[in-house]
Amino acid sequence: MNRRLAHLLTRLYPRRWRERYGEEFEEFLLDSRAGPKTWMDVLRGAAGEYIHPAIGGAMNEYRTSFGTVVRQPSALIPLGMALTALTVVLIHIAVYGAAREADEGPTAHIWQLLMVAQLPALLVFGIRWLPKAPKQAMGVLALLVTAILAAMAPVLILHL
Amino acid sequence: MDPGYYSDPPLLVLASLASGPKHGHAMIEDIERLCGTRLGPGALYGAIARLEQQGWIKPLPAEERRHPYRITPDGLKVLRAKLTKLHDFSKAGLKRLEAR
Repeated sequence: MNRRLAHLLTRLYPRRWRERYGEEFEEFLLDSRAGPKTWMDVLRGAAGEYIHPAIGGAMNEYRTSFGTVVRQPSALIPLGMALTALTVVLIHIAVYGAAREADEGPTAHIWQLLMVAQLPALLVFGIRWLPKAPKQAMGVLALLVTAILAAMAPVLILHL
Repeated sequence: MDPGYYSDPPLLVLASLASGPKHGHAMIEDIERLCGTRLGPGALYGAIARLEQQGWIKPLPAEERRHPYRITPDGLKVLRAKLTKLHDFSKAGLKRLEAR
């Protein structure tokens, strides 16, 4: 295919798509067979990019649901730790009451370990998922923060 | 009877890259050998753009005028899951035919 035609066909695509793939697509077309079949295929491809854009569209959000993101180990681990910490505190209150102890017992140490250990997992989750699926990742982070606050609430309210 | 050809460009591109990094024309030739489907430039780059945005393939540095891509670990997982599903479907369909 000649350069002029390759350039014209590439210009059919949306600007954002061309900014990323335009140059290499044009080079690719130069080595492709010219003919109605190729032209139709490029026309279909360009129309598809306007209807369901791969870049700047909602494609990633559509494919990456909240459920997919929340099931990632980097989300499940801190969530599990926060819920375990909450359970540990509630069991302690149920068994020993809400009175503050002079010395920190094993329950307090387990709670502290769980609360500190979930921070790196939370950081890994943020770094990995915020750029990929910001909306879903923010939802999961809100859920994780709620779980952490729930685990901290009995300790702060009852001054354990 | 002509059985037609299989056309799911993103899956075909992932399957092609599973054997190693390739540039566009090498992918087209490989896919044609693999299943008889010859992707056009629009279908190929539509699939490449979507797969790259999903993080399932990554571009490698350009070699002269060619732009190779490689499959990522996430892409391999997706390919395995899709092929397994296709395999299960194919097995179930063939079993029904055998029962006739």
